[in-house]
Amino acid sequence: MSKHTISLQAYAKAVLHCAKYPWATVHGLLLTEKKDGKIRYVDAIPLAHTWTQFTPMFDVALQQIQLHAKTNGLSIGGYYVVHEDVNVTQLPEFSALLAKTLLGVSDDAVAFVIDAKKLAPESKEPGLIPYVNTDSQWKAVPAGFATNKNGSAEFALENNRVLATAKRLVAERAEVAIHDFDEHLDDVTLDWLQNPLLNERIKTA
Amino acid sequence: MSSAVELLSDIRQSSERRPFEVLKLAEPLLNTGKISRVDDVWLVYEQVFTAAIDEGQIELAKTILTILHKRFNDSQRVRRLYGMVNEAVGHPSEAKQLYQQMLDADETNVLASKRLVALLKAEGHTKEAISQLVTYLDTHANDFEAWLELCSLYLRHNLYPQAAFCVEEIILQQPANHYFHLCYAEICYTMGNLGTALKEYLRVVELSTDNVRGFYGVKLVADRILELGNLSKKEQQDAGLADAPQPATLQRLSQLATERLVHAYNSAGETSKKTAEAWLKE
Repeated sequence: MSKHTISLQAYAKAVLHCAKYPWATVHGLLLTEKKDGKIRYVDAIPLAHTWTQFTPMFDVALQQIQLHAKTNGLSIGGYYVVHEDVNVTQLPEFSALLAKTLLGVSDDAVAFVIDAKKLAPESKEPGLIPYVNTDSQWKAVPAGFATNKNGSAEFALENNRVLATAKRLVAERAEVAIHDFDEHLDDVTLDWLQNPLLNERIKTA
Repeated sequence: MSSAVELLSDIRQSSERRPFEVLKLAEPLLNTGKISRVDDVWLVYEQVFTAAIDEGQIELAKTILTILHKRFNDSQRVRRLYGMVNEAVGHPSEAKQLYQQMLDADETNVLASKRLVALLKAEGHTKEAISQLVTYLDTHANDFEAWLELCSLYLRHNLYPQAAFCVEEIILQQPANHYFHLCYAEICYTMGNLGTALKEYLRVVELSTDNVRGFYGVKLVADRILELGNLSKKEQQDAGLADAPQPATLQRLSQLATERLVHAYNSAGETSKKTAEAWLKE
């Protein structure tokens, strides 16, 4: 079994966040639970689609997510980003710095770059490039989702329906239901921490 | 029909990017031919064209372009739309050629200038895009959208001081618009200039009542400055805190921010409210 498993909810919400703002750099955090040395990414909390390089609201959001995660017995084990330029598949410098602050909270946090080109309907892979921090540097795990010679992969989606379900949700424009912290700051009635209606939609998809 | 037309007009006014909705609203107008009876028919056509390009509906875009070209045979404004089609189908060099031709004929052509910058940016040639945009701003220094675009191009290269400069230029022209003060506050905070960040966040809440983002900023920065405590002269300079408010004032600002945020969060859902309140208590 893989060391890192990504649930449908986490994957779908990250992808839908990208789909809502296809022209923008978009980023968010991933909540994780750890068991027997294995890490499960259970949820995605979308942060921003504007001013993603600025730190103040990231700091506020991170602090609030820490409180929220603690209440729910989870950790903030991941960060995801998709760059507005679809050809950029390296972890951007500002993301590297933001993800580094995450390490202060969760020392084995993983940063995921989303390769937007791999989100196309015909794609057969998740389009996530994991970056792990070793020797204070973020290093890509280029074939993180590919099965290695032992027949397992370091990273995996929780089952073989996740990809298809996520694609279907995008095709159905489910992204209207996702609200990030940016949107919450304009309208505090939007539940950016949970996005409960979207969670329901994903469960029944 | 009229409400669809109104909505389309609202979206044009607000400059929001909502291509899917635009297409949905325009579809019945186009299919029934009712669009020809709309007052702003040509603006709507142009709007639908851009939305079609955004949604990858190239055939629709081309159809509309033919209609526009028929009506406005000689128009530069229509001509640059051909460039956009080229960009959308992956023929950037054709587009570039067209924009260059338009600029050679008239170097003050705003639309061609902007398309060229956008094309360079989309191709990843941000340095050239910056160069082109700076030239444009030499003659159009009050185009705040251009300054914002330049700001974002500088940020691509992590050139924060240069990005800040762009926002400063906009603030000089539009000092009463809280949005730009907000942007400036956030760049300053990112650069470690807490003193200016605080001033700018305060300006935001002055200009925009109960601005949640603004008050979060006030509290974040005031608390941070209090946390830093006694700094050396050099540390003060670096953080822009040479003339920072006294701790007592900072505490009152932090309290004010807390009060206003608690008030704002009254209408929020359970989870957001509890988490925000927990954060405010920390």
